[in-house]
Amino acid sequence: MVVARCGRPRMEVAGGGCERVKVLKAKGLKGFAVSTSTGEVDKQFLAAPIKSAVDKFQLVPEFLKIRGLVKQHLDSFNFFVKTDIKKIVRANDTVASKFDPSIYLRYKDVWIGKPSIVVDGVTDSLTPQKCRLSDMTYSAPIYVNIEYCNGSYGQNSNPQFKKDVIIGRMPIMLRSSSCVLYGKDEEELAKLGECPLDPGGYFVVKGNEKVILIQEQLSKNRIIIDTDKKGCIQASVMSSTEMTKSKTVIRMEKEKIYLVLNSFTKPVPIMVVMKAMGMEADQEVVQMLGRDPQYASLLLPSIEDSAHEGVYTQQQALEYLEKKRKKSQSRFGKDDGALGVLRDIFIPNIRMRDNNFHLKCVYTVVMLRRMMDAILNKDAMDDKDYVGNKRLELSGQLLSLLFEDLFKSMNDELKFMVEKLLYKNNRSSRFDISQHLVKDSITIGLERALSTGNWDVSRFKMHRKGITQIVTRLSFIGAFGAMTKISPQFEKSRKVSGPRALQPSQWGMLCPCDTPEGEACGLVKNLALMTHVTTDEDEAPITSLCYCLGVEEMSLLSGEELHSPNSFLIILNGLILGKHKRPQLFANGMRTLRRAGKVGDFVSIYVNEKQRCVYIASDGGRVCRPLVIADNGVSRIKHHHMKELKDGIRNFDSFLREGLIEYLDVNEENNALIALYEGEATTETTHIEIEPFTILGVCAGLIPFPHHNQSPRNTYQCAMGKQAMGNIAYNQLNRMDTLIYLLAYPQRPLLTTRTIELVGYDKLGAGQNATVAVMSYSGYDIEDAIVMNKSSLDRGFGRCIVMKKMSAVLQKYEGSCDRFSTPSKSQYDAEKIQILDKDGLASPGEIIRHQDIYLQKECPVDPKTASNTHPSQIKYRTSKQTYKGAEGETPVVDRVALCSDRRNNLCVKFMIRHTRRPEVGDKFSSRHGQKGVCGTIIQQEDFPFSERGICPDLIMNPHGFPSRMTVGKMIELLGSKAGVSCGKFHYGSAFGEPSGHADKVEDISETLVKHGFCYNGKDFLYSGITGTPLQAYIFMGPIYYQKLKHMVLDKMHARGMGPRQLITRQPTEGRSRNGGLRVGEMERDCLIAYGTSNLIYERLMISSDPFEVQVCRKCGLLGYINYQTKTRVCSTCKNGDNMSSMKLPYACKLLFQVNFKSFQVDVCHKLHLLVLKCRLSLFAVLCLNDILS
Amino acid sequence: MDGQKSYQRYPTIKIRELKHDYAKFELRNTDASVANALRRVMISEVPTIAIDLVEIEVNSSVLNDEFIAHRLGLIPLTSERAMSMRFSRDCDACDGDGQCEFCSVEFHLRAKCINDNTLDVTSKDLYSSDHTVVPVDFSGDVGFDSGEEQRGITIVKLRKGQELRLRAIARKGIGKDHAKWSPAATVTFMYEPEIHINEEMMETLSLEEKTSVVESSPTKVFGINPHTQQVEVVDPEAYTYDDEVLKKVEAMGKPGLVEIYAKEDSFIFTVESTGAVKASQLVINAIDVLKQKLDAVRLSDETVETDDQFGELGAHMRGG
Repeated sequence: MVVARCGRPRMEVAGGGCERVKVLKAKGLKGFAVSTSTGEVDKQFLAAPIKSAVDKFQLVPEFLKIRGLVKQHLDSFNFFVKTDIKKIVRANDTVASKFDPSIYLRYKDVWIGKPSIVVDGVTDSLTPQKCRLSDMTYSAPIYVNIEYCNGSYGQNSNPQFKKDVIIGRMPIMLRSSSCVLYGKDEEELAKLGECPLDPGGYFVVKGNEKVILIQEQLSKNRIIIDTDKKGCIQASVMSSTEMTKSKTVIRMEKEKIYLVLNSFTKPVPIMVVMKAMGMEADQEVVQMLGRDPQYASLLLPSIEDSAHEGVYTQQQALEYLEKKRKKSQSRFGKDDGALGVLRDIFIPNIRMRDNNFHLKCVYTVVMLRRMMDAILNKDAMDDKDYVGNKRLELSGQLLSLLFEDLFKSMNDELKFMVEKLLYKNNRSSRFDISQHLVKDSITIGLERALSTGNWDVSRFKMHRKGITQIVTRLSFIGAFGAMTKISPQFEKSRKVSGPRALQPSQWGMLCPCDTPEGEACGLVKNLALMTHVTTDEDEAPITSLCYCLGVEEMSLLSGEELHSPNSFLIILNGLILGKHKRPQLFANGMRTLRRAGKVGDFVSIYVNEKQRCVYIASDGGRVCRPLVIADNGVSRIKHHHMKELKDGIRNFDSFLREGLIEYLDVNEENNALIALYEGEATTETTHIEIEPFTILGVCAGLIPFPHHNQSPRNTYQCAMGKQAMGNIAYNQLNRMDTLIYLLAYPQRPLLTTRTIELVGYDKLGAGQNATVAVMSYSGYDIEDAIVMNKSSLDRGFGRCIVMKKMSAVLQKYEGSCDRFSTPSKSQYDAEKIQILDKDGLASPGEIIRHQDIYLQKECPVDPKTASNTHPSQIKYRTSKQTYKGAEGETPVVDRVALCSDRRNNLCVKFMIRHTRRPEVGDKFSSRHGQKGVCGTIIQQEDFPFSERGICPDLIMNPHGFPSRMTVGKMIELLGSKAGVSCGKFHYGSAFGEPSGHADKVEDISETLVKHGFCYNGKDFLYSGITGTPLQAYIFMGPIYYQKLKHMVLDKMHARGMGPRQLITRQPTEGRSRNGGLRVGEMERDCLIAYGTSNLIYERLMISSDPFEVQVCRKCGLLGYINYQTKTRVCSTCKNGDNMSSMKLPYACKLLFQVNFKSFQVDVCHKLHLLVLKCRLSLFAVLCLNDILS
Repeated sequence: MDGQKSYQRYPTIKIRELKHDYAKFELRNTDASVANALRRVMISEVPTIAIDLVEIEVNSSVLNDEFIAHRLGLIPLTSERAMSMRFSRDCDACDGDGQCEFCSVEFHLRAKCINDNTLDVTSKDLYSSDHTVVPVDFSGDVGFDSGEEQRGITIVKLRKGQELRLRAIARKGIGKDHAKWSPAATVTFMYEPEIHINEEMMETLSLEEKTSVVESSPTKVFGINPHTQQVEVVDPEAYTYDDEVLKKVEAMGKPGLVEIYAKEDSFIFTVESTGAVKASQLVINAIDVLKQKLDAVRLSDETVETDDQFGELGAHMRGG
């Protein structure tokens, strides 16, 4: 299903569109900055500086410089390595024996070392490039300090200490604080074999680059009001604490309110739950709900319900609940009955002290109230697709889950081992608990999860697949794309349009263009350029700060006051802290403190007037972005700030520290009025965008003038940019990837954007500036095909290099191993070993052809016995590896690398290089989602030319424009044409015209006219064939064209005779097996309908698997020819009197033999039916087989 | 049709500008087919010499072998000899394997970087076995002697320890087979424009209107005489047939104020050569090749047989 997305990053958004995102909360917002007396306002107005647009663009590169483009991954991983891992270990720090509590092991500290590997007992430092080349995992040891005691069996029971004990290895994210590349400059990176433009943010696991995709989830510990399948309104909370994870739902069904919890067999009345928690008086609940009789009347049926059930006291309620409880609950060891369920599983994110249920009651009532609000007023429903209700789970969080599980398992294992040992009384050696730390389980567990992408953490009921993905190195931009990709929470098959639609709250956070087509459309998203994803921040200081700022603590308030109309609830990360009478003042105070750097930069304060709440969030996974703060619509950033930035006195951090810029998350954006440009700011404006083009992501940032294109075109280009060939990285020639596509002469686009410069696409481009004539030519350009100029191809246009890796392992056995063998000239296949060197390996620079041997080695004939024989007496046989390539292709052996793999076997890798020039059928694309194949290649002299001598490189059919509406492409052509004539790169950043980051068509035309071109970019061309002028003026100029990885050479396939399948003797399937093209069921149907019986016979029998069988006319079973006596025999009748021969498809014969023999089915009678009716493929045979057996 | 009418015309060439690698001339009294034939031949059929076969002995540079071979092929070589050389495919002396002096020229390149500076391997490092066939030297040309020492066309850059050693064989070929054999960088022609200004009507215009007419052309075709204040044609050949002036005049409501026609029988040629042959030589060679082609048509038996079909034209081709 393709869902049309309404993603329209248009210019008009600048004018009117922003209100839908930012709801102005004018009341009180001016609070701290404006004096209230009217006389002063005028003065202030006069004193205000004259509005002039400060070019804040410079902030973007500055932001990206300190942040990098994948900061979200790095931050998350750093947080895990520095903080989270310590927390996990501290929470599970003691392993003690059940039998003897004096035997214990305690972790004192944990930290991650530098990436290294231990080879034969020697520790060797690792670099990422080394790991890539030799299939290793880039990991660092996890060190712990331990304190342990080996028990009191008369021996000393003093605790002993050990330092720097390794408990496992942690894969290290590249460029994170634990990585060797951290803080290195360009030159140092080059020395380590690393590309300076590579963003990092991924792992190297077993030589593969793996990135942990960002996982999108509904936020935890928050009340979400929505409807269930039946349309009942419900309030749900996904609780998640270190101890438990559970989902609590309060649902209104037939006017009665129920609690739905997994631990109860069916929904229980909410009033019973309230009573069970100690709120026995209905009045108390009603009081808490608020004075408005509407709420009380909504609750009335529920109150009646509980009375009907005869539940009045806490004791009765608990007994009632006990009956509804699922019994199998031994996970927490002790079983506390219904009270335990309410304590541990019912909204466990509300911590309790001494079975005091007051806070839980309050929370439940708040849930009830929110739900009732939604019943009374549908607007109060929460939108699940709203980005503010989402959390992004990053690599750090995912790894910490995994680590916690593995760490606990390791401790359990340790405990088990110790107990097993202690159980045996007669111990020969001294018992030492520290010896039993198993360090492999963590290493292997982490490595396996990263390399398979399967997160199976049964402890947290987490079974997810496809968490990691290989970093696609098809193009430089493709690698970025993998790093910013957000994978969805739902399965892709869901046929709902809601989550797929473009959310207005995505503005500035998630790219509106970059999403795949097809089933994952709109579900898989990408981060925008300036998005930051937060990490967890400590709640305690914020809590105490809130109380300092006048929040009245919840426990001090009466029930009545909970929803009293004159104050707001203060909620921190879903926890109700208390109430505040002057929420706006409180919010402003918090914000001022944040701007002053007293509270974390990413803490968000959001006043929700509708819910009468102030939400403070410091949890991880929120998306936020930097914005310029404005006071009364006057930007805090002045010209001198930008000048200081330019002079290098300032950096982005100082802007942040001085309160000129702040990060807003999606919720807090609702409290802000954000002006797109300084000039548009009114006095109510609180923030100003840094640059509008930052709402797009990296992939969409490559498109010039995307705001002039039809929106799906930009989406198409986002997908295609990842397939474009070009330079991958500075170290591209030192990489040993399975497949590398490179362009011989990549160029930087003549029409660039700011994003291109920021990400380094101008240094590692993937395309060439082709002079394109938009005209019809030769008829080989229909349906988006392009006509190419042969001379341009001769000169290197679209020339690409394809490199493939082949590898071989020299296996080690016990006592023997594979070895290289020297090829000899007298070998029987001497012509095939021509490219081999003396060592039996293909030598670099040799042309390798189909069937050539590229590796010759000797393997022991019998590796099992080899360990007992003398090395000189081991018998070897030669083994060869032959190259399978296309006939007529001339690839070259580029490199041969030898390394040892993980099992310490010698591993040989060959890179095979093939240089290709474009041919008919190769796929090309401009940057506007306009792909097409090369339709024909035509000599230069036949190409049209202008009187200046300009001759296009390719011709594109004008029919590509009207329906696609890619106006951006036309402007790109104009801009590039002006660019080449005046010698300057022109810009086409998204929405860049007002701020000068995109050239206006008017200016471009002026430049064109100045250089003697027509203002509209059209030229007067002569036909190259006749020499006469063409009838029309031709729109001609350079457009950046990408060559895509799909090439005919890799796809074309035809076969006459060829290999057949072993069992059915039918032709093989698929190009890789040189298979035939199947005449399938539908094709067969057509032929039958047409009555071409001979053609069917020929296709399905003669050309497939004809076979001659001997059939007994009498019994109808298959016989055989006895070749000795040259007679035909029926094995059932034991004679050959009634034999006939007939032709059958072999698969048919197989069917009879396999299935019908036992049934004694008369072949002759079945035959005509089967042969004529349908031609069963092997698949059908197997199906039948299943049915019959 | 008048059977006696002769199709014969006497084209004339008037040279306007002639530099080593640049020529501009007028071709008159002929039609587009002849002019275009000349252009096409110059691009694709005038033979030059270019490197065609590369044997790489050592290559430790960053560029791979095919890459370097491709770059070598595109280096223009001085090809004055090309017209008299043989194509290696029909060379008797070497059975077409392209190793003899009649059809091929051998080049050697040896470069190794031994110090810390990057070494640019350029076309100057190619040593030719034949002093008449060498890489084109641009050092004397305008625009190239910008103070720095001109080192020819860069083939590859080497850093310390990298080496490039190869043997290359250059052969004669034509641009049709590969663009590297094309001697022409730019060959183009245009119809000579004929611009008429209706002086009487122009007189009726104000100075402002006159300037607007002048400025409507993106190229500087018209100008206003500072003395007489009259619109006059400054450079008719700057006109790119863009019709802008005509549109302007139309919009002003004065059709016929300016009229522009293309002279269908005169062409202005611009020829730029890659340096392989002199621009003037390129034209002459092209005419030679064109003649040979016509000869081939005339001499072929088929032509004689089909003479009747061609009729007058056949006789014309035979020089009648």
